[in-house]
Amino acid sequence: MFDLALAGFMAGFLALGFRRPFLWVLAYLYVDIVAPQKISYFLLASIPLSLIVFVGAFGAWAMADDKQDSRFALRQALLLLLFAYCGYTTMTADFPINAAEKWAWVWKAMVFAIFLPLTLRTRLRFEAVALVMVLSAASIIISGSIKTLATGGGYGALKLLVNDNTGLYESSIISCVAIAIIPLILWLKKHGTIFPEDWRSKLFAAALIFACLLIPIGTQARTGLICIGVLVVLMLRSVKRRFLFVSLIGIAAAAAIPLLPASYTERMSTIESHKTDESASGRIAIWGWTWEYVQDHPLGGGFDAYRGNRIRFNTIDKESAGNNTDVEATVITDKARAYHSSYFEMLGEQGWPGFLAWIWLQLLGLWQMERIRSRWLKRDGPGEQWQSPLANALQQAQVIYLVGSLFVGIAFQPFILMLIGVQCGLWTYLRRIDSERALAARLALRKPPAAAAKIPAPAPAPA
Amino acid sequence: MVDYFSLALTHGLLALAAFRLMLRADLDRDPEPQSGDEHEPKAAAPVRKGAHRV
Repeated sequence: MFDLALAGFMAGFLALGFRRPFLWVLAYLYVDIVAPQKISYFLLASIPLSLIVFVGAFGAWAMADDKQDSRFALRQALLLLLFAYCGYTTMTADFPINAAEKWAWVWKAMVFAIFLPLTLRTRLRFEAVALVMVLSAASIIISGSIKTLATGGGYGALKLLVNDNTGLYESSIISCVAIAIIPLILWLKKHGTIFPEDWRSKLFAAALIFACLLIPIGTQARTGLICIGVLVVLMLRSVKRRFLFVSLIGIAAAAAIPLLPASYTERMSTIESHKTDESASGRIAIWGWTWEYVQDHPLGGGFDAYRGNRIRFNTIDKESAGNNTDVEATVITDKARAYHSSYFEMLGEQGWPGFLAWIWLQLLGLWQMERIRSRWLKRDGPGEQWQSPLANALQQAQVIYLVGSLFVGIAFQPFILMLIGVQCGLWTYLRRIDSERALAARLALRKPPAAAAKIPAPAPAPA
Repeated sequence: MVDYFSLALTHGLLALAAFRLMLRADLDRDPEPQSGDEHEPKAAAPVRKGAHRV
């Protein structure tokens, strides 16, 4: 029954795409985030759903969509460069079989991120993409948050929809992404037209944000707590009543702390005392190893190059009794420890060329969103209210990702690559709108007043 | 049970969103500038069959 319902939903979604081809693009976003073929027992599990929708999205765009307004941005070129370089390092990888396995999903995510902006040429498409990304992630987040409320969760203990630790189903990744989408939820609540702002959308948005905040507690991923802190700081920039906002956050935190599970507060305390914690000490050791590795292999070792590491590190345990403190150092040896940081992941796997392309891609995104934010902030004409807040939300999501990335290896996480695709699309879309307006204004100046009055106004940044 | 609730809620909303998007002409083409001081577009009226540009 469940399988039939899921297959029916998928079939219905794809069928609507025959009327509106862009729905196939949305269907791919959904499939890539939720992975319904993994939730399904047999029907969807038995077909290569991701590949079908991937090809369908491209095919629908190539055959039926208008490409006149599509633009190719510098960041898409950077993604293409990174894509080509990753293909090269996969061929020369230290561990070719493992590298090929990772390449099998990375290439698809990168190609889609390059492709997505080409399809984003109306205001409604931006909203639709944001909505589908949020609702798809919400499938995992709502379930995880209710289980957190019921059981308290636990590190590695919270069972999400799929228990295979890939994609968004990995605890640290979902913790980071759940916090990163909060600004997008707020934008959809305020500027949404598919579900316009009313008491239902407000209630759902509030409940979903609460669910998002519960995910780092349920997974007990320390990254999530850091991401929440970053979100609060970022929101100080955009909220109108800062003092009230800080007061409310303080009250909410004070009320929540006694309700948190003891295991959660214990684990969070290791953020400060990382020397006693094997996971945190291991990270520092593996980052040191990666730095040494890239000195010898400046072009990178290809995907999964971390498998070659052999590390030794100490954990220090202090116990105080009266005036005496016992210090116990334990030597731990480990091998093939993952990078646990996107920055070191890029450095170790793709070397300096890949790292520089990736960091350029990220920093350029922050800068472009800042430009849009400030450029559109003061505009108050009809249909000019949504651009600056969307750029702000996408920038906040990216900053949260970049901070979370310090501790989690998610450099090629498809969800984040989709966000980058939306940023690229927004940048080219608004540049086109501005250049069309500038052109119309120049033409209007050249024409005599009577003729100028007849020039149609350019399509504005529609609301 | 919790998983089914979560899936039913989000997939119901996704299906409704897809259906509403299918009826919106501005999915494929931005509307012409409107007069008045409306800041956000209303959900567009259903389009006649074949009236949209793909």
